[in-house]
This record gives sequence, structure tokens and C-alpha cells, in this order.
Amino acid sequence: MSIGGQSQVPHTYWHLLARRDVLAGLLFVGVALLGLWLSRDYPIGTALRMGTGYVPRLLCWILLGLGAVVLVQGLRAAQTERPLSSADMSAWRPVIFVTASLVIFGLSIEHLGLVLSILLLIGVGSVAARELRPIETGVAALVLIALSWGIFILGLGLTIPVWPEW
Amino acid sequence: MELLHNLAVGFGVALTPANLFFALTGALIGTLIGVLPGIGPIATIAMLLPLTFHLEPTSGLIMLAGIFYGAQYGGSTTAILVNLPGETSSVVTCIDGHQMARQGRAGAALAVAALASFFAGCVSTMLIATFAPPLAIVGQSFGAPEYFSLMVLGLIAAVVLAHGSVIKAIAMIILGLLIGLVGTDGNTGGTRFTFGIIELTDGIDVATLAIGIFGIGEIITNLTRPQESRALVTQKITRLWPTREDFQRAWPAALRGTALGSVLGVLPGGGATLSAFAAYAVEKRSSKHPAQFGHGAVEGVAGPESANNAGAQTSFIPMLTLGIPGNAVMALMIGALTIHGIQPGPQIMTERPGMFWGMIASMWLGNLMLVIINLPLIGIWVQLLKVPYRFLYLAILLFCGIGVYTVSNSSAAVLLAAFFGVLGYVFTRLECEPAPMILGFVLGPLMEENLRRAMRISSGDPMIFLERPISLGLLIAALALCVLVALPAIRSKREEAFQEN
Repeated sequence: MSIGGQSQVPHTYWHLLARRDVLAGLLFVGVALLGLWLSRDYPIGTALRMGTGYVPRLLCWILLGLGAVVLVQGLRAAQTERPLSSADMSAWRPVIFVTASLVIFGLSIEHLGLVLSILLLIGVGSVAARELRPIETGVAALVLIALSWGIFILGLGLTIPVWPEW
Repeated sequence: MELLHNLAVGFGVALTPANLFFALTGALIGTLIGVLPGIGPIATIAMLLPLTFHLEPTSGLIMLAGIFYGAQYGGSTTAILVNLPGETSSVVTCIDGHQMARQGRAGAALAVAALASFFAGCVSTMLIATFAPPLAIVGQSFGAPEYFSLMVLGLIAAVVLAHGSVIKAIAMIILGLLIGLVGTDGNTGGTRFTFGIIELTDGIDVATLAIGIFGIGEIITNLTRPQESRALVTQKITRLWPTREDFQRAWPAALRGTALGSVLGVLPGGGATLSAFAAYAVEKRSSKHPAQFGHGAVEGVAGPESANNAGAQTSFIPMLTLGIPGNAVMALMIGALTIHGIQPGPQIMTERPGMFWGMIASMWLGNLMLVIINLPLIGIWVQLLKVPYRFLYLAILLFCGIGVYTVSNSSAAVLLAAFFGVLGYVFTRLECEPAPMILGFVLGPLMEENLRRAMRISSGDPMIFLERPISLGLLIAALALCVLVALPAIRSKREEAFQEN
């Protein structure tokens, strides 16, 4: 495929691919293949004495079959069905910032404590929404810190560090 | 009168101050998240699941159950006043409930919804108390082959009755089964699919998976949607009590809704949402004034509202008696049991009668509390609706984070939940229902265990599943369901059942 004049080809490929069922089928097939590859060394055993790999490999083969059916059905229906539009794909902002805020929270809570990690979670998480209002978000963060301290530390007595541990 | 004796045991447990408190807390949290669109009972129960580890198992279950049926009450409030379903199970209540509100009869609609729900709650509690013991006795006679076949039937039926593509849903079940295999194999001691990560050798906790898929995934999905405008009915609710005509039209509808919801709730894949949709369709077809539907017919509120509450409660029957979850909420309840080291199954009733009957008694008490508390509190719930989603999702995100951290006090669980969150969003976009995946995840280890046992009984001959009559019957039923749903006529009816405008 050359870039430039032949834009028609990737365009149609993309249109064929950007269908829900096609992508779902590919996802299932992909997971099944990954599972089969990961379990390649697991002992299978016999039906009487099943090894570690017996059930996983069985399930992966079933998933592979089902995924293939979904994929073929998706490709057949691709002519009539509407492809996913660019609007469907514009979700990068919530995906990235919601995930990032949680990852940061998870990594920081043990070292920085509850208060600072909540501030980080709210700070990064608030970018995920369309409009950003710093003052409102700050107030929300304070309320949520007080609330979680009251519920989880005072109320339930969880052993989460509240402040950074040096 | 064994039933009365059992109920006395149950009320003895449910009426202790601690358990009353947890029933009330659960019911109130349930109402709150029922009122608020954008967060449902599955995500809430998943978030609170780790916290029940610190409670008595009975108190924990009572609270989680309260969240589930409380959400059915709360969902109708938003549906009627704002024309937005707080829960998927109250989607159909919007149609006529909101029309009633616009005609100035919001009070009557809310009262009918609450009373119909309460009636359904009473009836279905009695049904659980009556039918659970005999079912548990049947369950106790099951061996490994029967159990395996029962789980196959349960999973297939859950898929057939849910909406969306059947093949995709079965693939989601298999995916759930595979995720359930992650960790150490209890029989051989080998590790599976751990990617060399130490934290994964103990397996993935159901709370981590559910918080990720339903909690985080829903946040991302909601944030990518355009903001809905909320048409709040602002005029004061003056007359709460329905008129005599409302009553006369509503009570037969509530009766039909309760009956339908009770039956559909027991079936795997049934539960609140399917019951509500089916009840609305029945009311519309059987009505003498079908033209009034969509313009504030009181039957259109009473039927679905009683059905969703009845369905929510009777879906506890297979979970409590056989240890088979019919929907994602019940899968999480099983997760709550296993957190406490309680093996779900028919033996719960005989081994822990206090827990079993205490939970049933608390359901009735919770329903009573809901109907008494909620009508006066409607004003407060409506105020809560003014909290914009840009604050709400931050709170949900935070509680998801803390909830998942407390599962095992490990950062790894939080990272895993974040991963499942993205996965949950992808599934929603690809129209792959995540609920069957949770069912598969919870049943996976049990299915493998029973498969292994069955194979040991038969010396490795898979024909054992067809030679045992009960097992054969269950498998034939599963196959029949698959064939039925493939028939074009049934398929179109099935799609129709979930579309109501």
C-alpha cells in the first residue's frame, strides 16, 4: 500500500474493519490465540486426570470458534451496517484520564497516603470531563477527602495510611 | 408450621439493631444510586463488596440485598420526575410515569410506584420463603454431573433471556470462564495465565473485575456521551395519594406485574429489567384503553414497578438454594459469600439457617422501611438530582479506587481494575454485554471442579452427562433454548421485548 494516491484501499479496509461485530470477533479470536499460546506448556493430562491446561485450552478453542463466527457474521453484515464513526472514536480523553487517575491513585496510596492520593486522583480525573472548572473541582476534592476520611478511616477503621510515610 | 418457625428465626436475626441498621443503610444507598443516573446497583455492590469483609456475613448480605431492591424503588423516582431512568429496570416507567407527572399527578405516580413495589416485595418475600426450602432439598440430591449440567443450563439461559447477540454473549461467558481460571489451579498446584505477576497467583477477585468493568467502564462510557438535559418537574407535589380510580386501575396491574416478575426473576438471566419490560408489554396488550398508554396510564407505572421489584427479589431464589447466580448482582452476592469462606449452595439453608432466613426477613423489613421512608424523602432525592455528573463521577471514581484497594490492600488490584475499566468501555462500544462475563467468571472455578469430579466418577467417560437422567434433562433444556433462540420468529420477538417506545 502506498501513501498518497491509493488512499482508497486503506479507506475501504478501515470501513470493513470498523464494525462492531468485526472488532468484537477479532477481540475474541485474539484473546483465544493469546490463551492458546500462553497455555502451550501447561500439562493437559487426560479427561480422567485433567492437567492444569485441560480446561483452559478447551475454553480457548471454543472461544476461537465463537470469535470466528462473530467475525464472519460481522464481515457479512458489513455492507449494510453503519461503520463506527469518528465520533465513536473520540473517547480518548475520558479513557486516558480516567485510567491514568486510577493508576496514579493505586501507585501513590501506599507511599503518599490517602489525602495526597485523593488530590492526585481528582486532579487527573477531572481532566476527563469536557469542561474543566478548577475552583469547583478543588471544593469537590476537599469534600471528598473529608468524606472518605470519615467513612473509611473513622467509620470502618481501615488501615490505609492517611499522610505520607517517609 | 415449619414456615412460621423459619420466619421467626429469620426475624429474630433481622430485628437485631445491627442488622436493622444495615438493612436501612443498604436500602438508603440503594435508593440513592437508584435515583442517580450514571451509577447502578452492580457497580455500587461491587464497590461495597470489599467493605463487607469487615462485617458479619449476614449483615453484609443484608446490606448488599438492600442496595439491590432499594435501587428498584429509587429508579422509579427519577423516571417519573425527570423522565430519565435512574436504572435500566425503570426505563419503561418513564413512559407513563413522566406523563402523569407532567399532568400534575407526580405524587400519585410516585405513590402508585412505591405501593406497587411494596406489594410485590411482600409477595416475593413469601415466595422465597415458600419455594426456597424444597428447591434446596432438590439441590442437595445433585451430584457433580448434575451440577455441571445445571451450570451449563444456567449460563445458556442467562444469555438467551438477556438482550443482544447470543453468540457474542456466549463468547463473553467463555471469556469470563477464562478470566476465572487466572491464578493457581487448586487441583494440580500449577499457575495459569499469571503472566509471571506474583499478585495474580491468588487469582482475580470478583470485586476487582466488577469494579473495573461496571464501575470504571461506566464512568468512561458516560463521559463520552453528550450531556443529557434533565427536564425536572419543578412544580410542588401537592397530592400524594392516588385517586380511587387510580387505585382501581392500578391494583390488577400490580397483581399481574408481581406474578410476571416473580416468575421471570427466578429464571437465569431474568431479574428486574426483563420483568419490567415484559410487564409493560402485558399491560399495554391487555388494557381496555391501549390508547392511554404513553399518555399517563397508571397501569403503565404499577405493572412494571411491581414487576421489577418482584423480579429483583425472586432472583435470589436460585442463588440462595442452588448457588447458581442468575444475573450479575447475584454473581456478586456469591462473591460476598466466598469472601467469608462460605461455599454457596443448597447446604447454606441447613448449615446457616440464621443467615438464610435472616436475609429473607430483612428483605421484607427493608421493603417496609423503603415505603415508609421514601415517600416523605422524595424532596431530598430530587435535590440530589441537581448534583451534576462532573462531580458525581469523581466521587464514584474515588470510591471505586478505595474499594478496590481495600480488596487486598494492594496497588496491583487498582491497576488491574483500571485495565478492566478500559476493557469494560471497549465491550460497551462493541455491544458485548459484560454481565454474562461476570456469571462465567463466578461459575468458572465451580464448573471446572464439578467437571473434574464427574470425570473421576465416570473414569473419564464424558457420556456420564448423558447417562444420568437429571443431567441429560438439563442439557436437553439448554440445547432446546439455543435452538429456540435461533428460530427467526422467536428472535424477532426477543428483540421486540427489549424495545418499547
